[in-house]
Amino acid sequence: MKLSTFPYGVQKEIFDNMKIPNLFLLSFVSKNMKKLIKSSQMTRFKSISHIVNGKSISPGIDRRIYIPFMTMADNIMEISERREETKNDYFQLNVSGKTMDFRLSNQYKFAEAYFHPLDKEAAIESIHNYLVDIFGDTVDYQYVEHYKKFVPHLPKLSLCHSFWSGNGERIRDIKPIEEYIASSPVLKRTNMNLDTPDLFNPESKFYQIESIYLTLYTNTVPTFLRHFQGRQAFLTCYKWEILDLIEFMNRWKSGEECRKYKIGFHPNTDPIISHSYVVRKTDNRVASVSIQKEAFCFGVWNKTEEQFLRMVA
Amino acid sequence: MSSTEQGTSSAAPAEPTTAPESAAAPEVPESFYYVHGKDKVVHKVSAGALQHSALIHGMISNLGYTEEQAKANPFPFENIDGDILQMVVDWCNQHKGKPTPPEDTNLPKQKEKLFDLVLAVNYLEIKELLTYCCKQVAMMVKGKSPEEIREIWMIPTDAEDEAAEKEAKKRAGKEAAGETAAAAGDAK
Repeated sequence: MKLSTFPYGVQKEIFDNMKIPNLFLLSFVSKNMKKLIKSSQMTRFKSISHIVNGKSISPGIDRRIYIPFMTMADNIMEISERREETKNDYFQLNVSGKTMDFRLSNQYKFAEAYFHPLDKEAAIESIHNYLVDIFGDTVDYQYVEHYKKFVPHLPKLSLCHSFWSGNGERIRDIKPIEEYIASSPVLKRTNMNLDTPDLFNPESKFYQIESIYLTLYTNTVPTFLRHFQGRQAFLTCYKWEILDLIEFMNRWKSGEECRKYKIGFHPNTDPIISHSYVVRKTDNRVASVSIQKEAFCFGVWNKTEEQFLRMVA
Repeated sequence: MSSTEQGTSSAAPAEPTTAPESAAAPEVPESFYYVHGKDKVVHKVSAGALQHSALIHGMISNLGYTEEQAKANPFPFENIDGDILQMVVDWCNQHKGKPTPPEDTNLPKQKEKLFDLVLAVNYLEIKELLTYCCKQVAMMVKGKSPEEIREIWMIPTDAEDEAAEKEAKKRAGKEAAGETAAAAGDAK
């Protein structure tokens, strides 16, 4: 069966019926095949909002590259550091000019790349460049890692840092974190547990982070709400005052807090289904407000009051 | 020329529930057409089954053939092997007037047969069957390494592609030179 003898429409239909990890492997077969995949799957790839390079959940594997909200079987690839020589079941692929060892994962058969730890930076860069080449630059590529570990600084790669080790580690000294954030590009996403009476400097890039998952052990909510300029914040607060929230909403209504999109007080990260809303005076934009038990959620719609009412009617 | 009778008779139209029995619409006889492939074996297929093929449907919609005329003028598909056309006709008959299921497991498992079926179905413009076939072709490389995919789909290497491109350029150059020489000869 010679794929090249099929008309373009048939080739496209075949590719349309392939899963992303299989298309990814197919792209390595030849330069022409990669070109054909890119041109025929342009619409499909443009619909991918982001691709994450994050921790793997497979045993013995370091990282996985995946499209969020898809199943394990849809992982684009996994990557792992390996000190010893690879064995016979590995094959080599040229990833953006760098030859790397690969094999297929046991269960799902997606690509697993292996490299020596000393080669990590170059390997991560090659893989990232290859992904950008295939899936295009409309996708938001995210690298998720703890801030103390290796973090690549590459064009078209957003950084999502965890400042939390997962065992409830609280940050009591904010200074090193502040310095780290100041020296990094603006982060895409972060999470941290803050147990400190003071928050970051108002000029800190911390407030520009697009999406923040924050646990506050002291009542620093008003400071945070006053300075946050990102799109989403999910706060878990041990102490907070209803007056601070009212003040925040009033500031938003007056147009003072014009850039905020969504604030959620943990644990509610589900869509806001409340019909209670407030309207911003300056541009008539609507924000849904929900207060249920101990959860406060505030989400801004890109809709005027009239459009919002039509939507919920 | 041999002939196989593949057609199925049409179901009687449903009677309106409120109308008296005597007022039922008369049964409209279904029209049949004839097709043959490379092996010249003629298949009789109902117009209803042929509706799956946009190509044939387009051809017959304005013909207004009588049964005799249709029989005397089978549609020749010389580019389609007889056994492949038989598969297509069977599929059209099986799915006549029915919604197509999400999967079709009755497609050929052999690579070359599936390949020929894809080309035939694409030519005859049978959209649903083409989708099933393409799904099956896609499944052939699921979980395969790039080298295995190359083997299954016979994809040329970069070096082979480059050589073929060079060859094509050389040929095009020669053809262009030949045309120029011929034009110059004509001018003399």
